Amino acid sequence: MTNESCDKPAVMAFEVLKAAIIDGSAARLGRLALAGRRSIETPNYFAATSRGVVPHMTPDNVNKHLQAGGAYMALEDFIEQPQQVVGTVRSPPIYNAPTTELRPRKLHSFTAMPPSVLTVLGARRIPAVPAPMGNSNSSVSVFTSNGFQNLTTKDYHAAIEALRPDIAVPLADLALGAITPTSKRALRMAERTDEWLKAYFTDLNTDSVLRPHGIATFAPVLPIAYSIQWEYLERLSEDLVPANQISGLAVYDPDVVPDMLNGYTNLTPLARLSLATPSTPQQILRQVSLGLDIFVLPFINAVSDSGIAMTFTFPPPPGEPPLREDGTRTLPLGIDLSTPAYKTSLAPFSPSCTCYTCTKHHAAYVHHLLSAREMLGWTLLQTHNHAVMTSFFTSLRATLAEGQASFNDAIRRFTRVYDTEFPAGTGERPRARGYQFKTEHGAKKMNTKPWKKWDDEKIAAVRKAGIAAKLEKKLAKEAQLANGLEGNGVETPLVPEDDADELDHRGFAKIVSLDDTKDK
Amino acid sequence: MWAARRMASAMSASSAALTFELVAKCSTTRARASIMTLPHGPVNLPMFMPVATQASLKGLTPEQLEDTECKLCLNNTYHLGLKPGQEVLDAVGGAHKLQGWDHNILTDSGGFQMVSLLKLANVTEEGVRFLSPHDGTPMLLTPEHSISLQNSIGSDIMMQLDDVLVTTSPDKARMREAMERSIRWLDRCIAAHKNPDRQNLFCIIQGGLDLDMRRECCRGMVARDTPGIAIGGLSGGEAKDDFCRVVGTCTQLLPELKPRYVMGIGYPEDLVVSVALGADMFDCVWPTRTARFGNAVTKFGMLNLRRDVYAADFGPIEEGCGCPCCRPADQEGSMGITRAFVHHNAAKETVAAHLLTMHNVWYQLHLMSGAREAIIADRFPAFVKEFFGRLYPDGQSYPSWAVDALRGVGIDLIQT
Ligand SMILES: [Zn+2]
Ligand SMILES: [Zn+2]
Repeated sequence: MTNESCDKPAVMAFEVLKAAIIDGSAARLGRLALAGRRSIETPNYFAATSRGVVPHMTPDNVNKHLQAGGAYMALEDFIEQPQQVVGTVRSPPIYNAPTTELRPRKLHSFTAMPPSVLTVLGARRIPAVPAPMGNSNSSVSVFTSNGFQNLTTKDYHAAIEALRPDIAVPLADLALGAITPTSKRALRMAERTDEWLKAYFTDLNTDSVLRPHGIATFAPVLPIAYSIQWEYLERLSEDLVPANQISGLAVYDPDVVPDMLNGYTNLTPLARLSLATPSTPQQILRQVSLGLDIFVLPFINAVSDSGIAMTFTFPPPPGEPPLREDGTRTLPLGIDLSTPAYKTSLAPFSPSCTCYTCTKHHAAYVHHLLSAREMLGWTLLQTHNHAVMTSFFTSLRATLAEGQASFNDAIRRFTRVYDTEFPAGTGERPRARGYQFKTEHGAKKMNTKPWKKWDDEKIAAVRKAGIAAKLEKKLAKEAQLANGLEGNGVETPLVPEDDADELDHRGFAKIVSLDDTKDK
Repeated sequence: MWAARRMASAMSASSAALTFELVAKCSTTRARASIMTLPHGPVNLPMFMPVATQASLKGLTPEQLEDTECKLCLNNTYHLGLKPGQEVLDAVGGAHKLQGWDHNILTDSGGFQMVSLLKLANVTEEGVRFLSPHDGTPMLLTPEHSISLQNSIGSDIMMQLDDVLVTTSPDKARMREAMERSIRWLDRCIAAHKNPDRQNLFCIIQGGLDLDMRRECCRGMVARDTPGIAIGGLSGGEAKDDFCRVVGTCTQLLPELKPRYVMGIGYPEDLVVSVALGADMFDCVWPTRTARFGNAVTKFGMLNLRRDVYAADFGPIEEGCGCPCCRPADQEGSMGITRAFVHHNAAKETVAAHLLTMHNVWYQLHLMSGAREAIIADRFPAFVKEFFGRLYPDGQSYPSWAVDALRGVGIDLIQT
């Protein structure tokens, strides 16, 4: 290790503003500061991206309407080899992205991520698709849009140097999938991760690469028992922290944190990034209590895709929740905009929300967009749901500032008042986008009830002929080939989903008697 | 109904819900620059109207659509009639409120979709008959239904229900029947229209490719004095020469102080030639639809950004374009989007389609505002030559229909 860096500060400063381990809680207030960026108050969250974008959010919308201070990106989203040239290896285009004064980092400039949003680079998406083959001693298996490929430690380190994320998460040897690793496997995970971290600092010298490039390192903490990874953690604590080589910890299992902090107080001042994918606010609160500071939250994207608008607040509203139809007395975490209840609702999703969606639009519009499968529906939900998470963390910090006692009290009330899960969402999801969703196919087919023919000759006569129709077919085929964005290239629903009475009722057309139709 | 009232200036005319002000005329061609003031504000003509079929422009927020400087977009009555339906539209207070759009909206009649998309229609004097797909119940869509729906939508410009035939239909008698019926249906639409003080009803000229029939229709329709006039039935099937002949014939017969709308066209060449022939307004789903297949419309032609050659192309979608995607990376309001980034996400993340939609809409709108500026500066012929010169840099392979049509209004593309 390079000991000359001892007297220099870490690349990223994390300041603990308030911490008190009382009443079984290790929750703390902090501030993450990077040179030239607005600082990030913690606890807080980072957005999870897919292929470098916050799903459904163009960069201008991210800039205007999202307050997320950071975005997590996975290298596996950028390094696929094009199918046409399998056999030859092409340097992934992102490595050649030009930089500008405003976006001096390639990861930022390639993804057009607004400069105000800092980036975290990991090798794999969170959560990652398990690879059929395990990792080797010098590489991990990653899943690109063109299939699995090996990513060597060398290549990963080179990628970090080239792309310059604000925060890099060194490779961890993870056993993905449902099965808990055997203690033998777990021990190898710790050993490999330790080896890889050594290689990381060999390939990426702190003084000549990481510091001048402004890349902070968040060392992985493995999702295995403390007793198995203590040697690895000890090295973090005894070698790397004193040398100011790591700024934070990337935690895959929050339950390791209490033991780790007991064992190594040196690690206490480091920022703790949760990659443990909590899927509800309750799970976030639990992780905050365990001492986690920043959270990567893919569940926001999933909740938006399911047509749910989040409606919870922290602390919860005072008083007992009203009795619900099913006899329970809890508040839902969100509302299902696909249900007919919102057909004509001009109200915002939640009255206190100040997001773009809630101030400029209403539930009826989003209900319509979801029902019509218009992409904007998911954009508006993303805008709102990210805003809800932002204010959740803002008030969480305010409550924590009042003291652990009121924080713990608010958590207890939150747990009592709210449902433990988001509503399932009855609407159709956006079309599965690409390879990461292979196992999730099964979106309902659009209504395919055929029209009965009225008059073949006349139909033939009025059919849109010629170029337009041909073009239509060609485009539809292209869309299918491209695993396109909407159901099988069908633009918009062409066939009414409702029966004649409903169409008549809606003023779309009127029912006529059969006798009446024959003479004309 | 519509009573044309001459304004102080002889160059403008007003009706209850529309003022048309002719700003400039090209001294060579029949191109015009004007301002059409509608209930939700003024719009500059000539213009292209993007199509927000189901009250949403394919993933763009109304705020982003505003950023493209769009002041008038189109909604489809057929789609809004199905979803969310008239009852919801009435409850919500119309399509502007539904989609949070404070600018103008134009709606079609819904008849075109019934006939061409559903392939189900039996058109009778009463209206369009079809069988409900669920139970085979016979149903009828009448001019009165269409107007009632458009009244509920609250569009600034509504279109009459017309008897649409493809222009290539060989049946002359049927074509005449459709043309005459469309005039009768206009009368029914006018009678059914509940809000002439705040919604404009445009007629639609029919008559296929038969110029005499088109002339006859023009006379019949113009006599009914609607605030604006559309030329219908031209959306793709016919030869481009025929298309130009129809547009050129109609514009010559139409009153000068009313907006002229050629329905369903959107290819850049078609727009520029139609402007030269004296048309003011256009709409087409093509620029937004093609965006979802990875296609960028640019002044140098179409680029399919899904092609591998763009994987490492770090130029903007279109060099020199001022849209939020393309303007120089460090400029105010620029997203710094590259072709490589669009390629990276095309057909994989919806964001790529949204970005191309934004660019393509900007391109179409700015093509028309560029034409407008050229008309006002009386340099429209030069604008047309530059436009075609960029698309066909060899200076040779101009499409003959465009050469002929432009020659007819005094522009010779070949001679420089
Ligand atoms: Zn909101
Ligand atoms: Zn552009």
